[in-house]
Amino acid sequence: MRHGALSGLRHRSPVHGLDRRHLGPPEVLAQSVSSAAPAAAMAAAPAIAATTAGSGTIWSFVIATVVSLLIGSCIGRFTRRMAVAGSLYSLTAKGLGPAAAFTSGMALLVGYGVLVMGALVGSATYVDALLGRLGVEASGTVLVAAAIVLGALVTGGVLARVRLSARVVLAAEAVSIMLMIVVFVVLLGVTPQVPAAVTGGSGVGGIAAGVLPALSAFIGFEAATALGVEARRPFRTIPRVVQWTAGVAGVLYLFATFTQMTGFARTGLATVDEPVPALALALGQPWLALLLDLGIALSFAACALATLNALVRVVFSMARDGIAPAALGATHPRRQIPHVAIAVVVPVVVVVPVALLASGLPAAQVLADLLTLATVGYLVAYLLVCLAAPFFLRRIGELTPVPVVVTAVLVPVLLVVLVAFVVSAWGGVVPLAIGALIVVGLAWLLWLRRRRSAQLAAIGVYDETVTADVLGGHEGSPL
Amino acid sequence: MRSALAVLEEVVAAGPGVTAKEISAALKLPQATTYRLLNLLVGEEYLVRLPDLRGFALGRRAARLALPVVPTPPAAARAVVEHLRGQVRWGVHLASFRTGQVTLVDPDPDHPPSDDVVLARHPHASALGMLLLADQPDWRALARDLRPLTEHTVTDPGELDARLEVVSAQRVARQCGQVRADRGCIAVPVHDPATGALVAGLALCGPAARVAEPNTELVALLHEHADRLVPLLA
Repeated sequence: MRHGALSGLRHRSPVHGLDRRHLGPPEVLAQSVSSAAPAAAMAAAPAIAATTAGSGTIWSFVIATVVSLLIGSCIGRFTRRMAVAGSLYSLTAKGLGPAAAFTSGMALLVGYGVLVMGALVGSATYVDALLGRLGVEASGTVLVAAAIVLGALVTGGVLARVRLSARVVLAAEAVSIMLMIVVFVVLLGVTPQVPAAVTGGSGVGGIAAGVLPALSAFIGFEAATALGVEARRPFRTIPRVVQWTAGVAGVLYLFATFTQMTGFARTGLATVDEPVPALALALGQPWLALLLDLGIALSFAACALATLNALVRVVFSMARDGIAPAALGATHPRRQIPHVAIAVVVPVVVVVPVALLASGLPAAQVLADLLTLATVGYLVAYLLVCLAAPFFLRRIGELTPVPVVVTAVLVPVLLVVLVAFVVSAWGGVVPLAIGALIVVGLAWLLWLRRRRSAQLAAIGVYDETVTADVLGGHEGSPL
Repeated sequence: MRSALAVLEEVVAAGPGVTAKEISAALKLPQATTYRLLNLLVGEEYLVRLPDLRGFALGRRAARLALPVVPTPPAAARAVVEHLRGQVRWGVHLASFRTGQVTLVDPDPDHPPSDDVVLARHPHASALGMLLLADQPDWRALARDLRPLTEHTVTDPGELDARLEVVSAQRVARQCGQVRADRGCIAVPVHDPATGALVAGLALCGPAARVAEPNTELVALLHEHADRLVPLLA
């Protein structure tokens, strides 16, 4: 018997105030699936990947699925052992220490924050397109109005209790995936079944380059990690949900790629601007295009809400860690949500996309740039958490060979993908934005080093075991 | 399966704080297998990881694996309960909450209470059970199924939530006809003054109509006896 082993236990969790241990597996799954927004990516990602991978596009998606599953396994090494609200930021802290965790936190703020903005722009774009097909005259005003309404809806969603919010997300995502499956099955059914012809641009190099857009279709699949505190059985549910999301998204993308490759077998998928609507119209099924717009708009909206849920929990965790203003770590006593973090974050992520659209920039370009920037943030966070996994296991004395091998394979792959991603966006606004964010991050880190060095050294707050969780934790002799 | 039980047994034997490596060495199990089993048991909450993330201890759920053993209360405590029985004409029962359930440790022999199993399984209905639920950080974990035992049983989570807040604030729980239509109970808690943990409850049970009355004097008498039980039970 080790005396004092239980004496270090706190009476309440450092992340108290959230709705602890309340969400069932479907609600947690919805968080991850929606954040990955497979319905939206099914329509767009295959065509983008096809510009380099050609007829090898399927293989690009197979590789991206495997990479995502491996990233999921690295995240699972943590989430089977600890429950967090700060997503990959809090996990990285336990493996690599404060500087890397801070970098991950910064990357997640950018990744999650910009993805919310991108998803709002995306949803508004497709609502606009949907209204256009219904005969509403297209104008910039409709687009901006749509973005404002969607921003208000998402704000309402994130302010609700997390259970309600998760259920809304679940319903929206289920409907959008169902719509997409209907659209794709119909397309597949009416398309002449000719095998995809080789359309050039393929080969190993092309397939590898196609992995970039393919992988960016998966980002967000780890979002359930941020619900670790709120999940009913976090150590069982979170790792499974993250892997399931990567797997399900992979299957959906392969199905979507196969359908579109078959549909454009003669001309080549990459030659079309908007492949799925084009396919639908070409087949004389304009109603399919309507369903498609509705599905994509819903998927983007659910993505915005789910990602926002994750974002505010990262901000909340940073505040509880003492590296962001303490007020941001407050929780609403009745709703059990980080309401101050929400009040600070929501105006930023809603106003920026509305302003971008109102400024008259082409929506498609805004969407593409935001998604690229978000992807860079995610890739940095994935890279760090994969690197952290074996160090974490060694620190707690549970290292085995498999995690080392996985990390040794993944880290170089992710590094190459990250560099390639930044290079591919060279010349646009994205590298400038990245540069500015790095400067801001460094300044913040230096300030923390000087003023908050103790808090910085101790970051990595998570839902620790408390006395009430341990059998015999709070009593001496039984009655 | 056998290995999982062996791991559980080893944590009990070695005591809280035992690490995965130590368990693997003690059981001569391959490390990867041990880690997988430990993660499984943590996932199911039979085990918990201590805050250093290296050490393990038994989780609360492990209590369900053993029949709760509650020794009879000391004679001095039974004398206090007997004294109260001499002063009132209702049934007086003493229950322990040490096992995370309602366990009657000194039921009134002249006024037999409801069945032990009913009290243990439906804490939302009984006055003693409500004391236990009001003490939980999240009562829903203990009362998953708000089953109606009579037409008066509170089955709406929101209403129960409101009632439990009143129980916490007033340090007294009441139910009228929620377990048996013609009976009701008033119960007060006994807390350990050192840790604040709820250890026992003292209940008065009588006709439902009488329990519904304010009974200010009876509640005061109950609290007085509960206070005398504190040094004997805590």
